[in-house]
Amino acid sequence: MPSQPLPLPANTHHLTLPDELAAWRQGLLTRRRFLLASAGGLAALFAPIGASAGANTGNPWPLLAAVQAHLFPSEIDAPGAEEIHALAYLQGVLGDPRGDRDEQRFLLKGVDWLEDLSRQRHKTSFIKLDPTHREQVLREVVSTPEGENWVATLLFYLCEALLADPIYGGNPNGIGWAWLAHQPGFPRPLQDQRYGVLHER
Amino acid sequence: MVCCMNAKPDNEFDAVIVGSGAGGGAVAWRLAMAGKRVLVLEKGPWFSEADFTKDELACCRRSVYTPDLRDEQHVIEEREGRAWSATPTLESGWDFWNGNVVGGSSNFMSGFFHRLKPVDFRLRSEFGPIKGANVVDWPIDYDTLEPYYAEVERVVGVSGRVVPHAFLEPRSTPDFPYPPTAEHPVSAWIDTACAQLGYQALPLPRAILSQPKGQRRSCEYAGYCGSYGCSTGAKGSSRAALLDDAVATGRCEVRPHSQVFRLASDAKGRVKAVEYFDRDSRRQRVTAKVYVVGCQAIETSRLLLASTGPRHPRGLGNRYGQVGRNLVFSAGGVSHGRLVFGELDAERAAQARVVGPFLNRTLHDWYVIDDPKLGRIKGGLLDFLMGHPNVISRALAERRDDDGNLVWGSAFKRRLETTIRGERRIDCESFADWLPTDNGFVALAAGVKDKWGRPVARIRLAPHPHDLKVGRYLSERGAKVLQTLGAKDVVVSVSDSPPPNLVAGGCRFGRDPRASVLDPDCRMHGVDNLFVADASFMPTGGSVPYTWTIYANALRVGDRILAQGV
Repeated sequence: MPSQPLPLPANTHHLTLPDELAAWRQGLLTRRRFLLASAGGLAALFAPIGASAGANTGNPWPLLAAVQAHLFPSEIDAPGAEEIHALAYLQGVLGDPRGDRDEQRFLLKGVDWLEDLSRQRHKTSFIKLDPTHREQVLREVVSTPEGENWVATLLFYLCEALLADPIYGGNPNGIGWAWLAHQPGFPRPLQDQRYGVLHER
Repeated sequence: MVCCMNAKPDNEFDAVIVGSGAGGGAVAWRLAMAGKRVLVLEKGPWFSEADFTKDELACCRRSVYTPDLRDEQHVIEEREGRAWSATPTLESGWDFWNGNVVGGSSNFMSGFFHRLKPVDFRLRSEFGPIKGANVVDWPIDYDTLEPYYAEVERVVGVSGRVVPHAFLEPRSTPDFPYPPTAEHPVSAWIDTACAQLGYQALPLPRAILSQPKGQRRSCEYAGYCGSYGCSTGAKGSSRAALLDDAVATGRCEVRPHSQVFRLASDAKGRVKAVEYFDRDSRRQRVTAKVYVVGCQAIETSRLLLASTGPRHPRGLGNRYGQVGRNLVFSAGGVSHGRLVFGELDAERAAQARVVGPFLNRTLHDWYVIDDPKLGRIKGGLLDFLMGHPNVISRALAERRDDDGNLVWGSAFKRRLETTIRGERRIDCESFADWLPTDNGFVALAAGVKDKWGRPVARIRLAPHPHDLKVGRYLSERGAKVLQTLGAKDVVVSVSDSPPPNLVAGGCRFGRDPRASVLDPDCRMHGVDNLFVADASFMPTGGSVPYTWTIYANALRVGDRILAQGV
C-alpha cells in the first residue's frame, strides 16, 4: 500500500500475532473500500442523514489543527498536537507525491463533512465550538464507518508525528520519544537517507 | 518499443542469476569464487550498510524496500464457504513482497538460524500420509546437505553454541565458528523457568556476527534487528556476506533495477536468453551458458509460468502442471505476555528494560511430538524474543480499546504512557510445518497486471487443519514458559494465516518429472541449463525459518552447476 496506513500489528520478527491479524486485515479491507468509495464522490457522509458536502473547501488547515488539538491535547506534562508539530507533519503527508491520492482526498473531504455536521448540529463552525461540543460532534462522526475511518486516520498520523524521526517534520528534538521514555535506534537517518530520497537510488 | 537493442553476443556470461537473495547470492558467490563470469539481475535497488538506518518510517511504514502496490501487486485467493474469493493486494493492503533489493529479504531477516533435522527429509516415511496433504520425502537426505550447512556457518557467519539435546542435528564440526551474540538479562529468566518446567532451553544460533569478519563489523546491539537493514554488516545477508565478496573478484556483476519478465527457450526446450526491463523500462536481453532463478518462491513460479516457449506452451517446466504447486509457508503462532516494570522488583525491572542484546533462546523438545492424544507426529520448535521496539507500531495499537472503539484525547495519552513507558512485551514464536495441499499454489492472475503489463501472481491459500493442531500444542508450551517467568496476561495464539516472509515450495525437487519440477540437483527436469536456487525446491518446509537451508542448498546447487561444466 502506498502509504501503508494500517501496518502490520506490532511487528514480530517472523510471524504476525494471529489475534491482531484478523482485525488488521478486516480493517485494511474495510478502510480501502471506504477510501475508494468516498474519494470517488459517492454519497459517503459522516452524518447518517443530512446535506451533501458543500462549498466549505477553502483553507482546511485551521479545522484540521483544531481536530488534531482535540484528539491529542497539549498538557502540562505531555506534548500535544501543537508541540509535536502535528499539522506540519500532516501537511507533509498530504503533499507526499508518493502518497495515496485516495487517502489524501479522503482526509480533505472529511474536513467538509465535519464542518457540515458541525453547522447542522450547532449552527456554527467546528473551530468555534467549545471542547464539549467538539467532543459531541466527533462522537457522532465516529458513529458512521466513514467517519470512524477518518478519525482513525488522523490518529494514525498523529502517532507518526509524535514518534517518527524528527527529519520528517514532527517530533521536534525527539519530544515524543522523551515523553514516552523511548530510546531510538542508531544510527538515526540523515536527510539523504530518508524515505523519498532513498527511492532515487 | 524496440526489443533487444543492446543484445550482447551469446554467452557473455557463464551464468545469469535472476534474484540476489539467499539463493541467487549463494550461487553467484560459489561460481564467481570458482572463476566463472556471473551476472546477477535484481529488480530492486542496491543499498549498502551506509543507507540502512533505524528509521521506522523508511523501514517499516512506507514502501522503500518493496514495490509500491499500485505498480506491482498480487491476488490472494481464500476460501469463502465453498467458493474462493480473490482479492488484489492493492485493495486489501495485505503485502506479499519481502525485500526487493540487492540481497533480497535476507537484508531484513532476524537471522534466527536453524538447520533442518534428518527427520525433515523423510516426513512421509517417518509419519505416514496425512489426508488432504501432499507430504513426500525429499530426494536427498540430511547427510547430503550437512557439509553445506557447515560451510554456511563459516562463510555467512553463524554465531551460537552447541549444546547436546535429543534432537540435535548431526554435525561435522564440534561448534559454531562464532561465539553467541551478547545475551539479554531476561534470557536467564527463561532458563530458570524452563528448568522448573523440565524443558531444555537452548542457545539460539544467529546469522549475526559476534566478532568482525573481513570488511564486516560485528553486531553493535542497537536493539533493532528484524525488519531493518543492518548498518554494521553483522547480519549475514546475501549482500553483505556473499555478493560483496563475489563482486570483489571482478567476475560478478550485479545489475539492480532489472525486472526479469521472461526466460526465452529454444526449439529443444533449453533456455536461450533472459529478458528484462531496465530502470527506464526498456527491454533488455542477456545470454549465458547456465541460467539460475531465485526470485523467492512466489515470483519464481510466476516467472516460470510466464516463460512460455515452443516446447513449454504452459510455462517453463510446466509440462505436467507442477509449477506453482505445493506452495508452503511456516505454520505456528506467537504466544506473548507483558513484562510490567512496576510489578517487578527493582533489579528485574532494570533487567527487563535493557535494550540491545538478544534473548537467543530456543526450545526443540517437541520437534517430534509423542503424545497420548496426538500420537507420534512431527512437531516444531519455539524461539523467544522481546517485543519489537518499533514505537509507532506500539502507539498505533493503543488507538483502540479492548472493544475496538477509538480512543483519543487524554485517555489515549494515558494509554501510551502506561504501555510504552511502563511495560514491554515478550514473545514466544512457534514454528511448525505448513502442510502442502492441492489448493495451495501460485498461478497467473489473468486480469491483474503489473506496471509493465505482465500478469501478476495469483496465490491460493489452503492451510491444512493439522497445522493448527501442531501450532497450538507448541504455542501452549511456549505460553507456560512465559507465565512461569513472570509475564502477565499471557495469550496463546495460533493462526492458519500465512506469514508472507516465510514462503517456500512451488517448484518441488524430486525424481519423478510428473510429480516435481526440478531434479534432485535443482535442475529443471528436461531443461539441463536451468536451475532454481531459492526455497521453491522444498517439497515440505520443515518447522524452522528457511534461510539457512536456502543458503546451504544454493551452495550445493552451485557445486552441481560446476560439476556439470559451464
